[in-house]
Amino acid sequence: MTAPRATKAVLTRWVMFGLLVLYTIYNLGPILWLMISSLKSRADLFAMPPTLVFTPDFSGYQSVFGVGAARDSASSIGVFDSLMTSVLVSSVGTTLAVGFGTLAGYVCSRFEFRGKGDFMFFVLSTRMLPPVAVLVFYHMMFAKLGLADTRLGLILIAVFVNVGLATWIMKGFFDGVPKEVEQIAMINGYSRLYAFRRLVLPMVRGGIAATAGFCFIFSWNEFAFASILTTTEAKTLPVKITSAAGATGIEWTQICAAGVVLILPVLVFFYLIRKHLLMGMTFGVLGRS
Amino acid sequence: MMEKPLQPRSTGRLMILGFLSPTLIILLFMVAYPIFSLVYYSFFNFSALRPAEGMKWAGLSNYGYLLSDSALWDRFVFTGKFVFLCVSAQMIIGIFVGYQLQKAFRGRDVLFTALMLPMMLSPVVAGFLWRYMLNSEWGVVNFILTLFGGDKVDWLGRADAALWAAAMVDTWMWTPFIVLLATAAFRGIPDTIYEAAEVDGASPAYVFFRLTLPMSAPVLFIALILRLIDSFKQYDLFVALTGGGPGSATETVSFAVAKTAFRFFYTGEASALAVILLCIIMGLAMILVRHLSSMGGRN
Repeated sequence: MTAPRATKAVLTRWVMFGLLVLYTIYNLGPILWLMISSLKSRADLFAMPPTLVFTPDFSGYQSVFGVGAARDSASSIGVFDSLMTSVLVSSVGTTLAVGFGTLAGYVCSRFEFRGKGDFMFFVLSTRMLPPVAVLVFYHMMFAKLGLADTRLGLILIAVFVNVGLATWIMKGFFDGVPKEVEQIAMINGYSRLYAFRRLVLPMVRGGIAATAGFCFIFSWNEFAFASILTTTEAKTLPVKITSAAGATGIEWTQICAAGVVLILPVLVFFYLIRKHLLMGMTFGVLGRS
Repeated sequence: MMEKPLQPRSTGRLMILGFLSPTLIILLFMVAYPIFSLVYYSFFNFSALRPAEGMKWAGLSNYGYLLSDSALWDRFVFTGKFVFLCVSAQMIIGIFVGYQLQKAFRGRDVLFTALMLPMMLSPVVAGFLWRYMLNSEWGVVNFILTLFGGDKVDWLGRADAALWAAAMVDTWMWTPFIVLLATAAFRGIPDTIYEAAEVDGASPAYVFFRLTLPMSAPVLFIALILRLIDSFKQYDLFVALTGGGPGSATETVSFAVAKTAFRFFYTGEASALAVILLCIIMGLAMILVRHLSSMGGRN
């Protein structure tokens, strides 16, 4: 190998490495910046040049959790309630979606029945659906059914948004369990239902946890439906911070703190699902295990 | 794979019905029923705000009006520009980063996991975070620009800059998705192919463009279509980042549907626009489904 070619290869490698570092800064920098900013007082938030050394100020968090001095400020009214709404809607919605999706995924994995392919693609199509399109109708339907601006309505949305994903992912996990498990149980006189409950379900525990992780993150982040279907009573945290950025200007301390509060559960669940990202993010189309 | 599937006997039938019905009922009620109603409503002239005035048959006039409305064409043009900018940036950066992460180095797996984070965040948080960082006076992005001798840019105050800003934020959020799929695609290529190329003395560029890319094309195509669909229907990000502004310069088609339906309450017209949006998305989805079944057939 001649010297110039070797130098060129070294140079290329360094350029590639530099670009990767630049991308990492672009990718992770903003998240770090949000965490830092959430601890800044208003004066430090707007400082130019931006400060890196500052005395931490927790007023943003106080207003999100409804404690301390910031509790009574006009902008923090109802923020903690919306956080509770988010927690409730996401956990109940996730539980139901995972439950229904597990049942449907099992049937799709184990049985052949007429219209199965159509059913699977119908379920897949919910991944593509633009929320605002169906919202035009939901808005009227929810008003008629008395579901508008209620937590119950939002739970229904959380189930609908996630049940298709849960079905596809769980089918993938059930596909990984050999059919012999049920066959042997049934030969030994157990019912299929018993085999499903006592043998197969425990074998896909990890899959159920991963599915729940995805469903929780997606309903936790859900915005389009919640923003249109709630007005005062049942706002979730993402909707609340958007409406807080209204006429009186943006309460940046509060928004940064709420942003961190919205990110933290995602971080926890993200850690749980990191091995299954490919499957979860492609609706189980790729990376089935 | 070719074993005989378990046959539905009578208990099996019951199980299929019982296990499938919750999911099926929810999806019929929340997807099929709304879409049929939407198509129906799109032929009427009415407002959900004033149900007493009733629904007046309008035929195709909602569609006719929409197609002749130059403001709506602006939404399509903006959405198209946005989709083109952010999806091409995501594909190029994502494939590059995914390829770099093929090389083994210390901390690679940790870095990979960390890089996936932005796409798991709430689009609203992402929108506000960048709106904060892109502020023309005290935003950190302009601060960095001035450090390198650049001029401050009024990112969200000018129509052309706001397009770039939105594309930059969407790219920040969704490049990890392409990295994820590209990594999976590259890992699926057998090592023997690279070994053979090395024996033949092929240059790295040749290996990448003539072997790696073509062999991972089927998976990258899935990534492309999914990103086209998602960025075309983008709504949340614009609510938080630009609010559709300045003026109405950054309103996507989805944004226009929401505005027509929930600010002006032209429900018939909004339904027609929603049907048009649905048709475009479904067209893309059909391409994806075809592609998936051809991949399934090949394996």
